[in-house]
Amino acid sequence: MNLLKGVPMKRRMKHVGIGFRKDFAEDFFEKEILTPAFIEAAPENWMGIGGYWKRIFERAAEQYPVYSHGLSLSIGSPDPLDWDFLKRVKEFLQRYDIKIYSEHLSYSKCDNAHLYDLLPIPFRWDAVKHISNRIKDVQNFLERKIAIEIVSYYTPVAAEMTELEFINAIVKEADCNLLLDVNNVYVNGFNHKYDTKKFIEGLPLDTVEYIHMAGHEQVEPDLIIDTHSEPIISPVYDLFEFTVNKLPKSVPVLLERDFNIPELEELQNEMITMENICRKAWSYERAVA
Amino acid sequence: MNAQLHKFTQTQQSGFASYVRTGILPHLEGLTNNRVHHYRRLVFNVVNDSLQSAFPITHDLLEENDWEELIDNFFGTHACQSYQIWKMPFEFYEYVLNSKTKLEKKYPHLLDLLLFEWSEIEVYMMEDAELSHYNKRGDLLKDVILFNAEHKLLKLGYPVHLKNANEISRSDKGEFYVLLFREPETFKVRFVDLSVYFAWLIEEVKKKSQPLESILDEAEKIFPADKKTLLEKTIPFLNEMFERKFLAGFKK
Ligand SMILES: [Fe+2]
Repeated sequence: MNLLKGVPMKRRMKHVGIGFRKDFAEDFFEKEILTPAFIEAAPENWMGIGGYWKRIFERAAEQYPVYSHGLSLSIGSPDPLDWDFLKRVKEFLQRYDIKIYSEHLSYSKCDNAHLYDLLPIPFRWDAVKHISNRIKDVQNFLERKIAIEIVSYYTPVAAEMTELEFINAIVKEADCNLLLDVNNVYVNGFNHKYDTKKFIEGLPLDTVEYIHMAGHEQVEPDLIIDTHSEPIISPVYDLFEFTVNKLPKSVPVLLERDFNIPELEELQNEMITMENICRKAWSYERAVA
Repeated sequence: MNAQLHKFTQTQQSGFASYVRTGILPHLEGLTNNRVHHYRRLVFNVVNDSLQSAFPITHDLLEENDWEELIDNFFGTHACQSYQIWKMPFEFYEYVLNSKTKLEKKYPHLLDLLLFEWSEIEVYMMEDAELSHYNKRGDLLKDVILFNAEHKLLKLGYPVHLKNANEISRSDKGEFYVLLFREPETFKVRFVDLSVYFAWLIEEVKKKSQPLESILDEAEKIFPADKKTLLEKTIPFLNEMFERKFLAGFKK
C-alpha cells in the first residue's frame, strides 16, 4: 500500500489539472513539481491493463481526482456504437470514481476500421440528428451527461451550416455538456478565418463543463496544426481569459501536452498562468460563498 | 441503423476516411483541397510511430521502403479493430502472417520477430491474474505446481530471442521455444530459452493440474529418456523458475 499522498492539498491548484502521460509519470510522483487540482486520463490508455502501468495509474488515482477524455468513442461516425467498449468505459469510470467523461465531436472509426485520429464531421442537419441521438444513447447507458469537445479541423467536408450552428444544435438536441478547448477554437479561427471571440460568445456557455488548453504548431502561412507539442502562445491565453470571464460558473481547466514534453517546471508555469487567470475571474465565487 | 444519417453524408465520411487510409481521394464536397493531405500524414505518423515503438528490432531490420510499404498496405487494406492503440501492433502481426508478403523471402524470420516483439508488450501489459489458494512452499514432486499467470510460451522457427536479427539467415531455421513472463514485483518481462521438453512440461503442468510425478510418467512415454533422467533435469529447472519467480508455488 502506498502511503504517499502526493502534493499536499494546500499547494495544489484549485482549477487547473494536467493530462497524465506515461512520459512524465515517474517524475510526476518523484519530483512533485506539478501541483494540479486533478489529472486527466484517456480510458483507452489505462483500462484493461495490468502490471507496471496499472500500478502507476492507481497511484495517481489515489492521489488526485481523475477526469477522463476518451479517444475511441467515435460519436460522429456512420458506424454503430461499440457497446462492448462502452461497457468497459463505464466500469472504468465507476472503478476510479471519475466525474467527467468527455469525448471528441469527431469520428475516428469508419467502415469498421479504427483510424486513431480525429476526422472532421460534415456540418449537416442529418449529422446533427444522428449524433445527438447517439450522445443521448451514450448518456443513458453511462447514466450521466458527457462533455463533447469542439475539435480542431483543417478542412470542412460537405458543410451545409456553420460550425457554430452545428455545435449549438447538437448540444441543444442531445442535452449534453460542452468541453471547450480554447486552443482548438483559436486554431479553427485562424485556419477558417473567423472571429474567435464572437465564436465563443455564440456557444451555449452555460453547458461548458470543462476547458482544455494546449499549444499548437503553425505549418503554413495560413495553417495551424493542433499538435499539443508546443507551449501555449499568448493569444490563446488572451482568448482563455476572455472565455473564463464569459462563463457563468467556474469549471476545471486542463493543460494538454502530448509531444515534445519539456521540463515539468515549464508545464507548471503554464498551469500557474492559467490558475491565476481563473482565480482572478472566479474570485467572486469565493466572495459569494 | 442510421435512420437519420443520409446516404450522402455517409458517403462523404466514408470517402474521407478511405482517403486517409489509402491516399485515394474521391470527389468530396467543399474540401479545402490543399489541406486534406495533412490528415493522411498525421494518421500515417500515428500508426507508424506506434508500430515503430512496438517493433523496434523489426523496424531496424527492414529497409526503410520495405517498412513503409508494409505499413501503408496494412493501414490501407486492414480494418483495425482495436479501440486501444497499444493492441493495434498485434493486428499488424496477424496482417503480415496472413498476407503472405514477399518480404518473408527477404527476411525469413520476419514473422517470428514480430511475434516475439509483440509478445513482450502483451505480457508487459496483460491484466493481472491473481492466483488464489496456493502455498508458497511445497513438494515439487507431489504437489501441483502453479506458475504465474502473466506469461506466454512461444514456438519459433528462428532464434530471434538468441541472435541479432540482422545476423539470422535461413540456415538458422529450427525449432525454438521461448517463455516470456512478467516478474511479479518488478513487472519486468523476462524471457527464457526452453528445450522442447521444458516447453512441453510447462504446458502439461498448466493443462493437467497434476503433480510432477504423474506428469513425468507421461513424459517418459514421449521423450527418449527414463523417468530418473528426466527428474534430474527437471528439478534444477523448476528450482530456477521458482527463484526467478515464474513458479509461484503449489496448489492448496
Ligand atoms: Fe482538447
